[in-house]
Amino acid sequence: MFKKFFIPRLIQYFTVLFIGITLVFVIPRLLPSDPVATQLQRMTAQGQYLDPAAVEELRESLEELYGLKGGMLQQYLSYWKRLFSGDLGPSFTQFPTPVISLIKMSLPWTVGLLLASLSISWIIGTILGGVKVSFPNSLVARAMELVAMGMRPIPYYIMALVLLILLSFIFPIFPMAGGYSVGSKVGLNMRFIKDLLRHAFLPILSMVVLEIGGWFLQMRNVASNLVEEDYVVYAEASGLPKSKIVFRYIMRNAIIPQITGLGLNIGFIFGGALITEIVFSYPGMGTLLYSAILAGDYNLIMGINIFSIVGVSTAMLIIDLLYPLLDPRVRYQ
Amino acid sequence: MRLKSTVFVVIATVLSLCLSSLVMAVEPPRNETLIVDILTGKVGNPGNFNFWATWVGNDKGLQQLVIDPLWMADYVTGEIINVLASENPIYNEDFTQMTVNLREGVYWNDGVEFTADDVVYTVTLSMETPGFGYHTQFNQNIAQVNKTGPYTVVFDLKEPNSRFHYQFLDRWGACRILPKHIFETAEDPLSFQFNPPVGTGPYTLVEYDLGGYWFLYELREDWDRTATGMLYGKPAPNYVKFIHYGDASKKAMAQISHELDMADLTPESLQVVLSRNEYARGFYEDFPWAELLHPAVTGAAFNTLVEPFDNPEVRWALNLALDAKNLALTAYDGAVAFSPAYIPALLPYYEYYYEELQPYLEDYTIEIDGEQYKPYNANLPFEMAEEARQRGYSVPETEKEIREMFGYGWWSHSPELAEKLLLKNGFTRGRDGKWFLPDGTPWKIEIVSLTTSTNPSFKWAFAIANQWAQFGIDCEAVPTEQVESLTENGDYQVVGGQPAAEPFGAGIDLYRGINVFKSAYFKPLGEKLVGHQSRWFHEEIDVFIEKMENNDYNDPENIELGMEVIKRLIDGQPGVSLASFPGFMGLDTYYWTNYPSGENPYGVPWYHWPNFKFMLPFLEPTGRE
Repeated sequence: MFKKFFIPRLIQYFTVLFIGITLVFVIPRLLPSDPVATQLQRMTAQGQYLDPAAVEELRESLEELYGLKGGMLQQYLSYWKRLFSGDLGPSFTQFPTPVISLIKMSLPWTVGLLLASLSISWIIGTILGGVKVSFPNSLVARAMELVAMGMRPIPYYIMALVLLILLSFIFPIFPMAGGYSVGSKVGLNMRFIKDLLRHAFLPILSMVVLEIGGWFLQMRNVASNLVEEDYVVYAEASGLPKSKIVFRYIMRNAIIPQITGLGLNIGFIFGGALITEIVFSYPGMGTLLYSAILAGDYNLIMGINIFSIVGVSTAMLIIDLLYPLLDPRVRYQ
Repeated sequence: MRLKSTVFVVIATVLSLCLSSLVMAVEPPRNETLIVDILTGKVGNPGNFNFWATWVGNDKGLQQLVIDPLWMADYVTGEIINVLASENPIYNEDFTQMTVNLREGVYWNDGVEFTADDVVYTVTLSMETPGFGYHTQFNQNIAQVNKTGPYTVVFDLKEPNSRFHYQFLDRWGACRILPKHIFETAEDPLSFQFNPPVGTGPYTLVEYDLGGYWFLYELREDWDRTATGMLYGKPAPNYVKFIHYGDASKKAMAQISHELDMADLTPESLQVVLSRNEYARGFYEDFPWAELLHPAVTGAAFNTLVEPFDNPEVRWALNLALDAKNLALTAYDGAVAFSPAYIPALLPYYEYYYEELQPYLEDYTIEIDGEQYKPYNANLPFEMAEEARQRGYSVPETEKEIREMFGYGWWSHSPELAEKLLLKNGFTRGRDGKWFLPDGTPWKIEIVSLTTSTNPSFKWAFAIANQWAQFGIDCEAVPTEQVESLTENGDYQVVGGQPAAEPFGAGIDLYRGINVFKSAYFKPLGEKLVGHQSRWFHEEIDVFIEKMENNDYNDPENIELGMEVIKRLIDGQPGVSLASFPGFMGLDTYYWTNYPSGENPYGVPWYHWPNFKFMLPFLEPTGRE
């Protein structure tokens, strides 16, 4: 079992990591953006008087500091060397702040936001999808389907903006921007937690409202195929209680693709939620990655993507390893 | 039953979150707080206040409220203000030594006195620390720096430099002075976070958002021991909050709700604010609303090393093919101050340069096939004023006021002249009016620009592309995130943006804006840019710039020399020198009034400039709750 099931998956896992991390090194270097040019431009844009006589020397000095001297291979080898020692290098745009510090600063916001919206929408969407298939004629299920189908095609940006205008501007119930209020003391206390939740409420709501539809439809589609399976018909004919059929025979089987989807989405968390962050001026990884790409901050782009690659691959690995527990057929094979 | 309990818990949570807004935030009193926008957006590294390290963005209240320079340029009054210096720099005869006398009685916000030691330490630390913003420049220039008294610093320079103090003259950027007693405790000055920041400015940091969206500052109790207090008195707001709400539409929402006193808006969002907030106003109370006289000239730059833009007559033709009035109306609804001379339309420059240039421009002659043409339209500002009146806007009547609003004029829209120039240079025109290059291929122009739709780079690129297309050239504007890299490598034809570098906007000296055209900085295509992105140079300019370098920065001869450089730039037209940078600022007068304005331009009106601290003593609270 271990040899046949675990070893190939572990090999696959490390291969994906190696290829992914290598691509993450190469791709930013193919971008036309040049971190040194961007930095020089930023310095003058921020008003610094750069005597042209100093520009050339400054450019040299920046290349030296950024570690951009030397060939690609040399840079690639030192990149792996640094990576093995847990060092993602310094950010170019925030030099010499280590990339890891910037990620640490943004990641908790993104994880909090996306994990909350993902779990809420996943749970509600999955349950409602299962319920809809099991009780297709109930009024609640039909209404839910209508809402899910109606919400799903709305572009996220529009939905987020509507919520913002409605609940922050017309009825100023929730704040318009930021992760917490001016004057809130950061700490593990009820006051701060309530403030955090209040600021996160609209961003989470905007995502949940749309994501529920996706999970609902996926669950409904998978489960609707299952209700006609022989074992479900047999269970019904045997007179088993409806709730038992729904939860143990239909939903348990239908949930496996949902779990795969959940795993993948958890992995994608590391990329952040750019539009949400922009609309609600909420901190997180999305804007960090976006500004890194614009500025050609190779190290930061690589750092964030490494997190993402490791996140998605690990999530997939865990799901793969958990499959035998969830699905006896895999165990049997 | 269980479902009901769940629904109840959810509703209770939401209600509690809503109601908690009433009791939660311990924000300072609104009517004691001035709230301004973080112009450059969310701060990437909010906890790092060490902006002597090159990479730390300074637009978070630090330069505006906490840290001071030695001198500061005020482009509205044209003054150079002595901030931590008590007087102008004193150079020896051959400009190899500069003496700076410092203001006495200034204290850092932790109670330590500001002295010459701080200045010497700032400079030596910069020289010793690669990565500090002025590391390269100081090492190139300074032989040694010493204090000769508690309030006197002497710089010995490696080579004569009559403008060495420009490194300390703040114009939204300079080497500002850091506290020695704080930095000398830092193990690594480059990675030192300088948090909380200690400054000589009138405010101290109270709190900041870990996400980089806001920063809150409080007025120092001992504000009278700061340069701001000594120069202008007590700043009015007890608190200043810098906040980034998001794009212009969100800023507009915040300003309509009286949650943002000063904001940089788009022309469209400013109109929304004005229509929804009766207390809001622009820089002008009425048309043109925007601040038009800003120390940066905008338009476009040609890559003068690329055919056919290497031909000055082609560059002239492209300028003459433009209808400036129409450009202004298209891009900014007519709210622009024309700047045809590669220096911005600015009150101090009106006095020193444009007044004297006007007759020269009016007499400026282009000769084509033996015929002479005068392309300058000095009447354009009055045409703009008339256009605005016809649109129902109220516009001043006097010549002086109209020039202050719309500038001194621009080139006449002369497509027939442009055509003659192009035909003379071998271009041909098809039956459909489309232009062909001398080699017979269709003429295509690509204008690259920034992607920010509010930036003049973007606005002018599209407006100009439209007009050149109407003139028969296959022209398109291409916004791209890669503008810096493209221009740095010379891989472009025309770029929307700045046809010349930005001068200080104060004093008489244009050196900062024009020395980028020195031929010593010329680089061929493919090599990284050093001087101006047009890569244009003119041998005579070298002579004038060299003379300037041998003069004191304040020598009146610099005006003449600057004028000569301007004339060469006009002859060469390395770009499209259109107008000063128009700024559409929304000002909410619900809590605060007496902002610098078009009617009362007492100082720099922007909150992202270091001059912001000098504006605060002039603000007046309305007392509204």
